[in-house]
Amino acid sequence: MVSEYLKSKEAVKLPADCSIAAIREVHEMIRDAFGQRAALEIDGSCVDKADVTSIQLLISTAKTGRDQGRAVALTAPSEVLRNAIRRAGFAGDAAVDRHFAYKKDGI
Amino acid sequence: MSSPDWTESFRQEAAELFETLEGALLDLCEKPDDRELVDSAFRALHTIKGSGAMFGFDKVANFTHEFETAFDRVRKGEIAPTRELITVALAAKDYIRALIEAPDSTDTIIGDGILDDLRRFVSPSAVMESPPLQPAGAPAATDRGTDDDTAVAGWRLHLEFESHILRNGSNPLNFLDDLSKLGPCFAIALTDDIPLLDALEPEDCYLTWDVTLHASCGREVIEDIFMFVIDEMTLTATPLSRSDLSHPAEPAAQPPMRAPEPHAAAAEPPAAKTKEAERAPDPRREETKRSDDRAIATVRVQARRLDEMMDRVGELVIAQARLSQLAAASSDASIKLIAEEIERLAGSLRDTTMGARMVPIGSLFGRFRRLVHDLSRDLSKPVDLITSGEDTELDKTMIEGLADPLVHLIRNAIDHGIEQTDARNAAGKTEKGRIELHAIHSGAQVLVTVRDNGAGLNTARIRAKAEEQGLLAPGAELPDADIHQFLFHPGFSTAQTISALSGRGVGMDVVKRTIETMRGSIDMATKPGEGTTVTLRLPLTLAIIEGLMIRVGEGRYIIPLSAVEECVELTADDQRARGRNFLNIRGDLVPFLMLRDILQASGSPDEYQKTIIVSTGETRVGLVADQIIGSHQTVIKSLSKLHSDVTIFSGATILGDGTAALILDVVQLVALAQAHADKQHLNEAA
Repeated sequence: MVSEYLKSKEAVKLPADCSIAAIREVHEMIRDAFGQRAALEIDGSCVDKADVTSIQLLISTAKTGRDQGRAVALTAPSEVLRNAIRRAGFAGDAAVDRHFAYKKDGI
Repeated sequence: MSSPDWTESFRQEAAELFETLEGALLDLCEKPDDRELVDSAFRALHTIKGSGAMFGFDKVANFTHEFETAFDRVRKGEIAPTRELITVALAAKDYIRALIEAPDSTDTIIGDGILDDLRRFVSPSAVMESPPLQPAGAPAATDRGTDDDTAVAGWRLHLEFESHILRNGSNPLNFLDDLSKLGPCFAIALTDDIPLLDALEPEDCYLTWDVTLHASCGREVIEDIFMFVIDEMTLTATPLSRSDLSHPAEPAAQPPMRAPEPHAAAAEPPAAKTKEAERAPDPRREETKRSDDRAIATVRVQARRLDEMMDRVGELVIAQARLSQLAAASSDASIKLIAEEIERLAGSLRDTTMGARMVPIGSLFGRFRRLVHDLSRDLSKPVDLITSGEDTELDKTMIEGLADPLVHLIRNAIDHGIEQTDARNAAGKTEKGRIELHAIHSGAQVLVTVRDNGAGLNTARIRAKAEEQGLLAPGAELPDADIHQFLFHPGFSTAQTISALSGRGVGMDVVKRTIETMRGSIDMATKPGEGTTVTLRLPLTLAIIEGLMIRVGEGRYIIPLSAVEECVELTADDQRARGRNFLNIRGDLVPFLMLRDILQASGSPDEYQKTIIVSTGETRVGLVADQIIGSHQTVIKSLSKLHSDVTIFSGATILGDGTAALILDVVQLVALAQAHADKQHLNEAA
């Protein structure tokens, strides 16, 4: 459950399903995580379903981080997530860097 | 409160879409030029794809997408939907259904094979041709260039979708993929409208796109990609000349992927906030509301809930009967008045609830078009299926129970009834055979008729087979109608060869048993050379029946009134001759069963025993009871699994005084009487 990893110091791990079918829960999860941490690291390594909603959520998270002056990093995006981001018209590191200044692994 | 099962909702929605798709595909066989049918098939496909993606059925979405793409040339009118192509498309539909119903056990090799077939049909020389999405007569491919720099060499597009588009199952990423199939495509996602986390509605679409497309296709080709969402988006398309496209910012050698986002340095633009502010009235909400208004005419309800509702109404009818009984014994006029009012309301509610369970039989008939299409192809017998009375309504449980028997009857009609084309020609008949499926209300029953214009039943062959199997004494005189009844005997088949369809002698007896389980009956009429008609008579509902209440010992029982022929008194002579267990009913010997013995009733029997003559088709049996109480509106309750081996009862009901009465299963009792009669013969012989 969400509360278990929020208590830990590990990155917020995105679930396998980040498509529209599950995006509300992921949204809640990230909002909760924002409420409990000064900086946010989002681990995208497990994502095996991604679509426009997942990308919008990630960008919204990055914007919120910038708005609040808090660091937001996207780490280890899975191949599926990378592919969705590319298909949506975000190709190359520059496009991702714009939103995730603290990115650890490239898209 | 439990959350709704969206996956099940999708399955239900898909089932309806499959019917639409199959119907459109089958109609296309007859009317290949009907554009509306092609569009209807595409709309169904598109919705299945979109909803599949939304509900996590990725395999379904991917396969359907490929299906759509392969079938696209049909939609564009470039190729005709031939019968062969329709057959492959139907197989593709079946595969999608399998993907939804059993996603884990569906072999992708089958799906790939179907797609290969589909592609082969729509483009037998795909490798040699220009890209399939290139419109006919379009200018040369962009990479070959053109001498005229001012000609349309590409497009600059701006895509902006309505916010609810993702919830409809549409996926903008697929549209971008489709655009990139037209030619090198550079998409730039515009993120300005994406709000902060707290304001984010995660299922809304905020992204918009600027796209530069290097393809000299016509505007209509681009619009085709968005045809299903064109009313829910803004598509701006500006034609570009070759000189526009050779702008140094976009090198021609770049692979057909989207270019890096150019506004990398853009901070949160004030314009974005302005746009958010403009959203204050939130048109998305208004759109949703409008959709709800449209949907209010029909509401999808789970079948289980209807069953539960019927159960509650049954309870109410029972409680009302009890109240009426108490009111009748009371001298209080106001109690009587209320009891009458409750009785009226309960009756009205019962009728309304039963009405809600009624389903037009057309939903069932639609399934058989595919069956006839496939059998017609497999047996090389051209056959038309003509249906009528589709609006006739039946209880949903009956509809479900009717599917298998009707499949069997239609199979038999095509396999055995309809002759091969040359035989039909020789008989002066039309080349195409005809199967008619008809439904009509008749009193409290529904008659469903399956009629073929084939050769009719071969009475001589049925007789020979019956004699061979020892069911009929050689040379015994029997009316043709009685000889035809042997077809319903277990293991009886006159087919000379065993095929995948029929000839194993399994089926007609099962059909009869199934129909009788639904308290229906089956009749068969035939005319040599003209065809056969099978008529199924079914009660309107299985939930509440008219029953005849009887008493045996201390217990009360219900006999379905539809099975009762008459009631007679058991005379002293009949009782004295009990060893024989036969009644003389106007010259006919009818076996009877002493229900006291079967039900092991205690106490001494009434002096004047009554016999209720019941029938199942051609067999009549007398059931001897102590008393006939009268007719009773019977709400059927299932017996528990604990009583599943007690075959002579088909259910139970609660009486007005709160006690239970068991409902006798007439078919089982008739079988029991026959077994008793056989045993008696053996004893006498011994």
